[in-house]
Amino acid sequence: MKILVAEDDELMLKMLEFRLKKDGHEVIVTHDGREALDKIDELMPDLVITDIMMPYMSGLEIIGAVKARHPGTMPVIIISGMGQETVVLEAFQLGADDFITKPFSPNELSVRVKRFEKAVYA
Amino acid sequence: MVLGSLVVSLRTLGLIIFVFTNMILIILAFMLIYMVWRKAHEKNFSKYRMLSGLHIRRTVFYDGQIDPETGIPLTRRLKRMIVKKIFRRLFTEELISAKKNINGAAAINLKHLYHQLTLESYALKKLSRDHWHIKAKAIQELTLMDMRELKEELFAYTHDRNELVRMEAQVAMVQFNGFEGLRFLDTITYSISEWQQIKLLQKLSNLPPVHIEIDGWLKSSNSSVVVFALKLARNYHRFELHDIIITCLDHSDAQIRLQAIHCLGVIYTDETSVHLISRFWREGLPHQLAMISALQNIGSEKDNTFLGTLLHNDNYEIKLNAARALASNGLKGQAVLMDHGASDDQLNNIITQVRGEIAA
Repeated sequence: MKILVAEDDELMLKMLEFRLKKDGHEVIVTHDGREALDKIDELMPDLVITDIMMPYMSGLEIIGAVKARHPGTMPVIIISGMGQETVVLEAFQLGADDFITKPFSPNELSVRVKRFEKAVYA
Repeated sequence: MVLGSLVVSLRTLGLIIFVFTNMILIILAFMLIYMVWRKAHEKNFSKYRMLSGLHIRRTVFYDGQIDPETGIPLTRRLKRMIVKKIFRRLFTEELISAKKNINGAAAINLKHLYHQLTLESYALKKLSRDHWHIKAKAIQELTLMDMRELKEELFAYTHDRNELVRMEAQVAMVQFNGFEGLRFLDTITYSISEWQQIKLLQKLSNLPPVHIEIDGWLKSSNSSVVVFALKLARNYHRFELHDIIITCLDHSDAQIRLQAIHCLGVIYTDETSVHLISRFWREGLPHQLAMISALQNIGSEKDNTFLGTLLHNDNYEIKLNAARALASNGLKGQAVLMDHGASDDQLNNIITQVRGEIAA
């Protein structure tokens, strides 16, 4: 599966990339919201994983744009910090498909991604 | 004469040019050295960052069995580099950042790595420094890295003279020991700030409730400990403490009395409202309003006469809250409210407002 990851924390980004590649996915890494949106339109990933708080464009704006431009075809998983429940609710209203709260286990991420893999290749 | 002064002027000018040129050369040389040093520093820094990231990622995804003797396999390079202060500082920062974002087995691996590189010994050394912010940061680091083995060392700092150091140590105790971590309340003489109380309660809210003895804290000579204990009693519905909480209504500290009133709005018996009403007129407005709010929750038919008299109080807030309390006291309370309202226009407006609130 082709997965785009948007995360401004370099270490976190590398860890997500490592885990997803280990699970056999093709990973596109982006460091901010603007870069993520450009790559989404250009490379059409099967799944988007995005952090909420990012420079230039927040994860919420990415969800809004993805759902408007690619309705029903590109699931989005958001990564939120503890205590961001209201933001998570807003993300779901915008059309987010799943969320994962920091701190999280890389194994949990794998399992959540697998659910979408089944949907993509069904 | 003129020629002589001209020679002197030329000499002075030459000297000025000489000094000025030398100054520029010195500045240029300094800038050049600084740029070379900075470039080397940046190169080193990015090399360090890459090395840190690599080892942390390896540790996060290490799925082998961790040998208690040898731990996670580490490269000789990392062991050599970790003694360098700049690298160690960067590595620790990255490790903490990863630990904040990761949990489960990967987080345990990170804790192992921290311990294996004896990074906790460097944090412990910082505890003996004079600067409070260094101490507070070191405690925060040890807490984040889950160094519960060091809780005895950290306990001493729950009584530190600096408020922020105390706060970090108290949070650490709760993180490591849960409710039992609150035992610093037995002996603390410093005040626990409102903000710290919120932090501790928030930390405790993530834990399954455990029955702990709080009677002693309710009788503490430290007012902030009593206030905090009242909040604990309220949040964890400690009904068996009702009688001790009633005694707090007569405490000399107004903050404790106010907190006790809030607490009795949740922990009550049939007689609680009598205790509140008997103390009503000796209290100031904030306490009186808190009592009426409590009565709104715990009041019954027998309190209607008292609440009815409050409908004619000069203070609008007292009137409004008394009307709310009567409205929530069933049909008889509402009847009392309507009886009193008939003679007073302002009261009629209040009744309309309260009716609207009930309908909403």
